[in-house]
Amino acid sequence: MSAALEYARYPSKGHDELCLRVGVQHAKTILLVPPLFDEMNRMRRMLVDVMRLLDARDIGTALPDLPGTNESLFPQEQVSLVLWREALAHCLQTLPECRHVASFRGGCLIDNISDDSRQWRFAPAKGSMLLRRMMRTRIASDKEAGLSTDMAKLTAEAQQGQVNLAGNSIGSAMFSELQDAEPAPPDDIRTAQLKNSAQRGDVALPGSALWLRAEPDDDLLLSQAIANDLLSWMSS
Amino acid sequence: MSENLDLTPEAAVRAVMQDILGLDAEQVAAFTSETELFGALPELDSMAVAGLLTELEDRLDIMIEDDEVDGELFETFGNLVAFAEMKAAE
Repeated sequence: MSAALEYARYPSKGHDELCLRVGVQHAKTILLVPPLFDEMNRMRRMLVDVMRLLDARDIGTALPDLPGTNESLFPQEQVSLVLWREALAHCLQTLPECRHVASFRGGCLIDNISDDSRQWRFAPAKGSMLLRRMMRTRIASDKEAGLSTDMAKLTAEAQQGQVNLAGNSIGSAMFSELQDAEPAPPDDIRTAQLKNSAQRGDVALPGSALWLRAEPDDDLLLSQAIANDLLSWMSS
Repeated sequence: MSENLDLTPEAAVRAVMQDILGLDAEQVAAFTSETELFGALPELDSMAVAGLLTELEDRLDIMIEDDEVDGELFETFGNLVAFAEMKAAE
């Protein structure tokens, strides 16, 4: 797995955002919609392994930085799910050969970006779960600092402008979107779940829930299972 | 397609612990009610606990309030399972 990684750019709201590319020369490309917030960090290595494995099978991939994440200069407190969806649509326009979108965890909340692309999902997450986990992390760190916070206080703070949750500046629009966001109904979408998951999907893949780990990690078994399922889905 | 498979509270707690700690099924199967958690397992920090509670809510279709969570809950595997069983029965 020695495929070269390249950085491409795509325009969004007057900013140039980065997009990691592997296998630019291939005829087919999959747009990967990353998990959101800290889950993205925990799963990035696993996703890049998927990109390298697909390159070896002549499939190109693109993994965009969402505005306000990674190297992006876009103000984080101004991002929203709507803005991320628009950014992904702009990114897709820079990939004329791309007809396949694969989204991961919270990425499934922002993946309905094109009517002419086929969709694949891995372990879709509800917005409310991502939000509750971030609020709990903030409450725990406040507690260690001798402060008392609860979810009601954080919700009120968010409504007044923005709230810092687990290192993320969450603006009021993003906060209220996450409270209700669920992956759009899976019409014609292939959904993959982990074998030990409580959720039923179209296919159960081996591997571990890296998004729950204390530290980022790789999982080659999972990367291989995802790459194989994407290949069979694309040829079906 | 997104319907939950039936999962006992104990099986859900074991599955989530396995995911958080990156253990295999045999290692987690060896957990007994006396197995010590918070403080004994370095991976189980406060961020991991935030993930654990949220994941249990999702897998068991329960809601856990802030004031129900205290240090005692995470002292042992048995305490955590008993809490999950109590919430699932509500």
